[in-house]
Amino acid sequence: MKPDGKVVLLGDMNVGKTSLLHRYTERRFQDTISTVGGAFYLKQWGPYNISIWDTAGREQFHGLGSMYCRGAAAVILTYDVNNLQSLIELEDRFLALTDTASTDCIFAIVGNKVDLTNEYALLLETEEENRSEKLVTSCISTKVQKQVHLDDAVALYKKILKYKMLDEKDVPAAEKMCFETSAKTGYKVDYLFETIFDMVVPIILRQQAEGPLQTVDLTNCKSAKRTKSGCCA
Amino acid sequence: MATGEPGSPTREGMALPQEQAGLCPTDTGGDELSTGPEEQEELLAPQSNGPVRPADGQGDAQEEPSDKELSDSASTDNALEDSSEFGRPLGVGACEPGGPLAPPTHRDEDVTAASWRARRKHIFVLSEAGKPIYSRYGNEEALSSTMGVMMALVSFIQSGDNAIRSIYSDDRKLVFVQQGPLVLVSVSRTLQSEQQLRQELLYVYYQILSMLTQVSITRIFERKKNYDLRRLLAGSEKILDRLLNLVESDPGFLLGAVRCLPLPASLRDALGTLLQKAITPNLVFSILVARSQLVTAVQERAVIEECRLEPTDLHLLLNLIGASSAFQAGEIWTPICLPRFNPDGYFYAYISYLDAECTVCLVLLSTDKESFYAVSDCKKRVEEAMRTQGSLQVLSGGLQSPSYGVGQVGVPDLRHFLYKPLDIPENYRQLPQFTSPELEGPYCSEEEQHRLFDLYHYLHSRIHSTSRPLRLIYHVAEKETLLAWVTSKFELYTCFSPLVTKAGAINVLTKLLRWIKKEEDRLFIRYPPKYSTTPNPGKGAKGGRPDGAENGFFAGL
Ligand SMILES: Nc1nc2c(ncn2[C@@H]2O[C@H](COP(=O)(O)OP(=O)(O)O)[C@@H](O)[C@H]2O)c(=O)[nH]1
Ligand SMILES: [Mg+2]
Repeated sequence: MKPDGKVVLLGDMNVGKTSLLHRYTERRFQDTISTVGGAFYLKQWGPYNISIWDTAGREQFHGLGSMYCRGAAAVILTYDVNNLQSLIELEDRFLALTDTASTDCIFAIVGNKVDLTNEYALLLETEEENRSEKLVTSCISTKVQKQVHLDDAVALYKKILKYKMLDEKDVPAAEKMCFETSAKTGYKVDYLFETIFDMVVPIILRQQAEGPLQTVDLTNCKSAKRTKSGCCA
Repeated sequence: MATGEPGSPTREGMALPQEQAGLCPTDTGGDELSTGPEEQEELLAPQSNGPVRPADGQGDAQEEPSDKELSDSASTDNALEDSSEFGRPLGVGACEPGGPLAPPTHRDEDVTAASWRARRKHIFVLSEAGKPIYSRYGNEEALSSTMGVMMALVSFIQSGDNAIRSIYSDDRKLVFVQQGPLVLVSVSRTLQSEQQLRQELLYVYYQILSMLTQVSITRIFERKKNYDLRRLLAGSEKILDRLLNLVESDPGFLLGAVRCLPLPASLRDALGTLLQKAITPNLVFSILVARSQLVTAVQERAVIEECRLEPTDLHLLLNLIGASSAFQAGEIWTPICLPRFNPDGYFYAYISYLDAECTVCLVLLSTDKESFYAVSDCKKRVEEAMRTQGSLQVLSGGLQSPSYGVGQVGVPDLRHFLYKPLDIPENYRQLPQFTSPELEGPYCSEEEQHRLFDLYHYLHSRIHSTSRPLRLIYHVAEKETLLAWVTSKFELYTCFSPLVTKAGAINVLTKLLRWIKKEEDRLFIRYPPKYSTTPNPGKGAKGGRPDGAENGFFAGL
């Protein structure tokens, strides 16, 4: 049994990949989790099973990085908004690993740990206007100046399109695919994963249509529920 | 300060015998029960499960491994090149302001404080170039000058074509182990012997190998002498921290044996049969554990003919699994090396919990890194069969108490014991095992547990002394009396209340041995499942031969 679609989390160590997935799947934040290797998590999304792969820093060392990405329908490139190097690493080290992903793979760029920045309070206010979701706010004390801004992520997204030789018109807009999250408070974590899952469904359908061994159940396409999908940022 | 063997052992807490090879190991009037002239036999020799020895061929680059392993990961070269940019501290969690505060880790400890100095045992790992890799307490970064001094010591003595082994001070032992480009140092106030401390350092080394392999470490440092290995060990501090706590509290490390979950033999056999059936090509080990205690293990035929699973490898594997609380609901797929089995090769480990409480864990080791889905499917079969059998409920439900109490033996003076059978039929290539009741009574606090384990360590070092091994030791300590006894059939350490007489202790031993005999089918894997034969191992493009660099054992299959 293989799941229908695959989503992979990539990014430098300590940016919070495991924490993001943990927050989404277990609904909590734990400071002391460690990833021994790649972890695989199955998520039921409408009629589909979506697998999410978390990777650990050593996975690239072991040459497993590209295996994790093989056939991926979406890659979530994660950095730490307080660490510019972690964004640079995405381009330098991780982008190449995505060569084995599906041809119409979608890319999301996620800046995590926004709770540590001085912009966070501001973000929360705007957030509250749109949604009445209750967030665990950490006390706002010694916030730091954000190192990486959304513009930087947007620029990277455009570079990725160039690298993949994709036309901006054929893919989701950069503004839509760049996220800022906090695994610690839960800020925009569900929104991130659910936006991606929704986008993965058409890719699953296409992959299934192509796969000679898979039977296509067209009635299923319509029922691909767009549950809980949030509005655009 | 002198290197080499000490003139006299340390004195601390309990008085130790002053004479090195004296007849009397006890302080307060106890004595050894002489068992005749064979007492001085070399007891270690015939046992293969003695102290861990370093893998041979250390250091000299034997079969020059192909570049494949490193170059098939595009990023590694990169990581090697730009490692200097990663000077940022690893303890990211430490800089979190506000919020629900995480428990402060030992990583944040002030290394200049007296409490840091007073720690029972420090462990440091550094590279030959003096770069800090790991420190049990305090941030390695803050300790770089301390580690620099250690490295200076090591290289000073090395320059004289010698190796530093240990330094004894009034109340501490410093033990050094060099393994390839890594230097490991233990600074201890415990009663452990130098040999035991050395073995602990080797466990740390092996745990590092389990994540990186020996050949990779050698190659990395060949390419770049001052490589920051923490780059590749990111997140592993927790694994090493946990290992060091375990080493001090789980007798399995001392005895070189694994603890089995007490189970009716019929149930264990049924589970073994089940694992034998749930197989796929290149699946070589199937291991079922419940709360870190072995339920049963099955090996693939070709593997069992070559080698058996070593207790050390199982300990390290289980520690690695236990250290990661991430994804107890998911499935983990990770390369892992079993360093005693083959320090240079990777297995791909599939790890998944079978129950919601995360007590029952299935570990499947494959040699094919692409076989995740096939192996995951094996798990599903095991899981389903266990559900049907009802054994999953038994395993997860029957674990309120992970082991048993000493009260079950039914003798009042006995407080605790460690029993390791040695009469295992060789043709079964059995894992060395041991059993012990849960710690209770006066040994509930960590301090008291340390005291008891110190005593066990002391007796163990006397029994296994290379210069003068003993068969039987009756030791009267301050708050308890201990008796250690090794025969061709077992190795036994017992702890009694201090009031027991020698005759009383012998009497208890007789009853204890009778009880163990009666319970042995439940306490141990007596007849391990026969090997499994996976269909067409190593066939096709995905064939199970790991990468070229991973030679040695696999070539012999
Ligand atoms: N303040 C804050 N800390 C985070 C956040 N996400 C992760 N962390 C912390 O950053 C460290 C690394 O997280 P982890 O998920 O292990 O990163 P990974 O290596 O990418 O998997 C851990 O100490 C986390 O507690 C976040 O959103 N906010
Ligand atoms: Mg992680």
